[in-house]
Amino acid sequence: MLLKVENLQAEIEDKQILKGLSIEVKPGEVHAIMGPNGAGKSTLASVLAGREDYEVTAGSVEFNGEDLLDMDPEERARKGLFLAFQYPVEIPGVSNKLFMQTAVNAVREEQGLPALDMFDFDEYAKEKIELLDMRADLLDRSVNVGFSGGEKKRNDIFQMALLEPKLCIMDETDSGLDIDALRLVANGVNSLKTPERSFIIVTHYQRLLDYIKPDYVHVLYNGRIVKSGGFELVHELEEHGYDDIIQQHQEA
Amino acid sequence: MSPVAKKAVDFYLAQSQAMNSQGALGALRQQACARLAAEGFPTLKDEDWQYTRLSGFLQNLFANDQVPQLSAEQITPYLPDFDVFKLVFVNGRFQAALSDDVSQLPKGVSFEPSATWLTNDEKAANLFVDETEMAKEPFANLNSALMQDGFVVQVAKNAFMEMPLLVLFVHTGGQADHSRNLVRIGENAEISWIERHVSMDAASFCNAVTMIDVAQNARVNQIVMQQMNDDDYYFANQYISQAESSVFNTFFVSTGSQIARHQNHLYMNGEHIESNQNSACLAAAKQTVDSRTHTEHNEVAGLSRQLHKFVLFDEAVGVFNGMIRVDQKAQKTDGQMDNKNLLLSDKAKMDTKPQLEIYADDVQCSHGSATGQIDKNQIFYLQARGIHREHAIRMITEAFLLEPLEELSKAPVRSWLMAELSQQLQKMNG
Repeated sequence: MLLKVENLQAEIEDKQILKGLSIEVKPGEVHAIMGPNGAGKSTLASVLAGREDYEVTAGSVEFNGEDLLDMDPEERARKGLFLAFQYPVEIPGVSNKLFMQTAVNAVREEQGLPALDMFDFDEYAKEKIELLDMRADLLDRSVNVGFSGGEKKRNDIFQMALLEPKLCIMDETDSGLDIDALRLVANGVNSLKTPERSFIIVTHYQRLLDYIKPDYVHVLYNGRIVKSGGFELVHELEEHGYDDIIQQHQEA
Repeated sequence: MSPVAKKAVDFYLAQSQAMNSQGALGALRQQACARLAAEGFPTLKDEDWQYTRLSGFLQNLFANDQVPQLSAEQITPYLPDFDVFKLVFVNGRFQAALSDDVSQLPKGVSFEPSATWLTNDEKAANLFVDETEMAKEPFANLNSALMQDGFVVQVAKNAFMEMPLLVLFVHTGGQADHSRNLVRIGENAEISWIERHVSMDAASFCNAVTMIDVAQNARVNQIVMQQMNDDDYYFANQYISQAESSVFNTFFVSTGSQIARHQNHLYMNGEHIESNQNSACLAAAKQTVDSRTHTEHNEVAGLSRQLHKFVLFDEAVGVFNGMIRVDQKAQKTDGQMDNKNLLLSDKAKMDTKPQLEIYADDVQCSHGSATGQIDKNQIFYLQARGIHREHAIRMITEAFLLEPLEELSKAPVRSWLMAELSQQLQKMNG
């Protein structure tokens, strides 16, 4: 098991958002987590990545057999957990190259590998840029500064490609993307799929999922997974929306 | 006047009188002394000094009579790894033996120590600042009472010097340095120089006045690096006048001193002038760093740009004061002034006052100022990519501070300044 979340409960500013969420992800699996606004989708992504605004009040998360909740955000990243942000952050003055060389070497340090120097890194980055069909000047620009929404999301995918994580959590990566940008992001994800690498795709809409085709689909509502199934669940939701599910669980 | 201030005033008056200057210089010193005696030193009640506390400075009385012989080896650590033409001053006095041979300067570029000008009535007049200006600046006035040497660099019409000058001011033995400097750049000439202030041991006092005269079409790049020890005092007043179509770029980098106060008084006296004034200031512990600009657009179509960045640790105080004044003749002026500050502790303090005074109607002027702490989303973003929190903070801070350096066109100079600032940042970040 790569990720095992059990009865996870978390709150922000004394408001409980996750109310006992459980999910298991094996290596190579692609899971989608869908749900209406306010269900706790982004909270789940943030808690798994270690954002300090959230307080975990109960439950456990095991990542590759280790206690994830006990780790700093950087330690989680070094051990192979990657969060693609809903809103990638701009960092003026820090070049993508310096940023990613530092990050790649942090992960390599964790794996006991020697650091890549500037030249080795350039070569390694060039491969990934070609793989994702991105603009070559990407590395010289400040992190996300002056990027369009689509470029920012693609920059996150590029980082994912460089860091070669075990688990990629994509937090509403599709929000605000037009169909071309969406396709590019989806192609990026598909080209990074391997038999070992797992994905959790958090989204409100089915659009991105049509391109990525998850193995499992979960519906998150009111801080819990209320329904799980295969890819067919995506189309069920597309037809009926979240209303049926909301109604069902409000009654319960 | 407080007893401490009175004691300091008397001390510096006696020092000036003991210099026993004659002629035009003697007359100027008398004027300056009269003003010092009457007005003393500024206090927190003076608007321009309300954030720059001088009480600690006044406790020290700085003599100006020792010039130790330094060896070339003692100077080496202060030199960059790219080629410069070096002019070395120790406690404000020119040291020919430590400097490059000034007869080897390119054609049209000359250097003389200002000591030789000050005793020549005709030449001395070129080193004197306008009386009304002097009255406004107590430290420039003190410099007039006590100035002893400095650099006079003249660049003839059409002359060009590619290699930058490095004017190295080494301070030692708790002494004062009241340099009076003059740089005159002729029509269509070009020069770059770096002034670096360092100190070797006890608390020193640097009090410089520099006059820069930029003729038509001339291009000038100046960098001032204030890297004195933490218990030193640094004051500098620069009076710059620019003629038509000239370009003047100045960059102030500040990392040391208990108090550092650097002021540009810039007069854009011709059409189509461009000026860039930037600073990168770093302070920690109880240091105060104060960067000021007064920019006058006096003719049509001038362009001025300013970016001043401060990073403050611990209980450091930062002060920025900038004024852009646009004369009614100066239509089509384009003036921009930005001040951005990063506070890395709850006790650090920034006082900022960007101002515009516009008398023309067809102008484009703006000023802005922002002070804040590091955005925690930025820190988290870097952490989420495996970078340790402390390292993330350092990366973001460094990028913030180094932004104005991107303007520097010469790569070796830029890298040198970046390395110096990064090193200092790392030290302060502890």
